[in-house]
Amino acid sequence: MDDTQLLRYSRHLLLNELGPDAQARFAAARALVVGVGGLGNPAAQLLASAGVGRITLVDADLVDLTNLQRQILFAMDDVGTPKVEAAARRLASINPEPVYVRVAKRVGPDELAALASDADVVLDCTDNFATRHAINRACVGARVPLVSGAAIRFDGQVAVFDARDADSPCYHCLFGEGEELEETRCATMGVFAPLVAIVGATQAGEALKILSGIGATLAGRLLLYDALRASWREMKVPRDPACAVCADRR
Amino acid sequence: MIARYRVRIPSPLRSYTRGHDEVIVTLPELSPDHGPPLRAIIAALDSSFPGIRFRMVDEQGKLRPHIAIFLGPKAVRDLGTPVAPDTDVMIVAALSGGD
Repeated sequence: MDDTQLLRYSRHLLLNELGPDAQARFAAARALVVGVGGLGNPAAQLLASAGVGRITLVDADLVDLTNLQRQILFAMDDVGTPKVEAAARRLASINPEPVYVRVAKRVGPDELAALASDADVVLDCTDNFATRHAINRACVGARVPLVSGAAIRFDGQVAVFDARDADSPCYHCLFGEGEELEETRCATMGVFAPLVAIVGATQAGEALKILSGIGATLAGRLLLYDALRASWREMKVPRDPACAVCADRR
Repeated sequence: MIARYRVRIPSPLRSYTRGHDEVIVTLPELSPDHGPPLRAIIAALDSSFPGIRFRMVDEQGKLRPHIAIFLGPKAVRDLGTPVAPDTDVMIVAALSGGD
């Protein structure tokens, strides 16, 4: 690390649990952030500012005025710009060291599988169940840890599904498919702006722990955050031995 | 004896509970250490808040895939699972929002 890097990352370097070795792991790491909205904005910002070496941003949407209430990477000038472009530009202005890969389109299962297998950690910051299940399948197939976040109104959920760990469930073990699921969309139900930052930051924290190998991740646990009560709850999520996605995994 | 359960309601289902995020369900206690099955608690919930059961349980009597139920911290999908009195019942709905 040069002097600028020592200064930039000094507050992490001061932590015994992290230090220069973890910083080197961050620099060599590849993170995939699917969804660059309320959750993806803070998550990507924290990964970028921590010096994660390559961050792939996937989102087909353009920045909209309604995003600016909570999507903290965007400004008025970005309205109408692809989210991945505006986000990458802003992230590079915060930390020019990482490589920011922009994928400004909807990606199907094959592309997701390829993106996941080229990542060390995947953050699900999306807003629909079909994509959530597709990301889960890609992560199980590629045996890449998945950090899942969701937020609506005043409620947040965060979990880690680590396909490398034989005891860890996958997203499908917790929430299955098989019927028309009712989407809970911010556009129709509203979302408390700080909630997405709290959940997105928690996702980034889990991703950094996974990349550096420190602490205990949320694998096998689901965190529920109630922003109205300012309370967290933790639930245990076991593997489903009959899971249609991961039952064959050992 | 009456068994009492505190049931936590996820936000997508609170339209049935008049906005309450937590409700109390009471049932006759079968025995001190062998409570009624989870489906009986859901049925009692539905009698107080009509329609909520259908959002949680399908026509075959199975828990819908986007709903998870926790008894204390433990996940349960079998609605025949006995629920000891005073157990906290947490209903969790999958959230898709992230934007």
